[in-house]
Amino acid sequence: MSTSADIGTAMPAFFGFAGSSLALVLANIGAAYGTGKAGVGIGAMGVMNPEAVMKNIIPVVMAGVIGIYGLIVAVLLSSAVTAPIQQNGESINVYGWDLGFKHFAAGLSVGLSGVGAGYAIGLVGDAGVKAVGRQP
Amino acid sequence: MVGTNLTQVLCDSDFCNTGWPTILTHLSPFGWASMGIAFTLSLSIVGAAWGIFVTGSSIMGAAIKAPRIRSKNLVSVIFCEATAIYGVIMAIILMGKMEDPPASDKIEVYEWTTAYFAGYALFTAGIGVGLTNLASGVSVGIAGSSCALADAQNGSLFVKILIVEIFASALGIFGIIVGIIQSNMAAFPTPP
Repeated sequence: MSTSADIGTAMPAFFGFAGSSLALVLANIGAAYGTGKAGVGIGAMGVMNPEAVMKNIIPVVMAGVIGIYGLIVAVLLSSAVTAPIQQNGESINVYGWDLGFKHFAAGLSVGLSGVGAGYAIGLVGDAGVKAVGRQP
Repeated sequence: MVGTNLTQVLCDSDFCNTGWPTILTHLSPFGWASMGIAFTLSLSIVGAAWGIFVTGSSIMGAAIKAPRIRSKNLVSVIFCEATAIYGVIMAIILMGKMEDPPASDKIEVYEWTTAYFAGYALFTAGIGVGLTNLASGVSVGIAGSSCALADAQNGSLFVKILIVEIFASALGIFGIIVGIIQSNMAAFPTPP
């Protein structure tokens, strides 16, 4: 029988799942910024130089790849959080604090580096495609 | 339990927060799950609405001098709307994972560990999908806006810049994939 003292045993799972979601969300924020900013640059240079637009889609693809990195790590981390097992009619948590914090840190590191990478891709892509539009 | 010693050091009352245990266990797992459902729906819709107003205002402004762009560029608005639909789908999936809470005389025999695990999983799935769709919706809106303005100048640019929008809306699909995987880990126990 579970008692009220057992309500705290599944707490590490919050950090494990939060790491997975943070990896996804932050990497996609970076990818979204990169896609939008580079897309605006492509729209601007496409008016001047329509033939070069397909070549200049590359920054948008690079930003999408950052989103895929976040997706991969989020899937790996959320599969690593093990559910409580059933034993003698009550559920026992097997996912400890060490795993919880490790997974949280892993997700945070992927996510924040994705934000930085996506931001950089956006700015460089925007400036780059506009420069290519003027001087191929 | 973690944090028990800190209570005696920092404050003696039951009404002080002493750390993560207070936040994570003093909100019911059904509350965590419900907040996840609320966040996935509302944040996805905020992202879609943001994208629609960004692209819609550009389409209307550019259509003054180039009315031919009006029908084609509604595709950008549809891409933004898809973001909101991902949020609705995810909210319905998460709602299907919820069970009834135990009756008041069955609280001692309920499997709270599994319930808290499921509550955390649904909360983070919801927040993850909601925030991802927020970012995706804004990105699609910005790309759609530049698509409309470029299309007004040169009609051949529409299809090329639509590729940028497709990449932006792929981010929403990433969100829903991870949300479904996380919600599959959640299983509220049936009430005794």
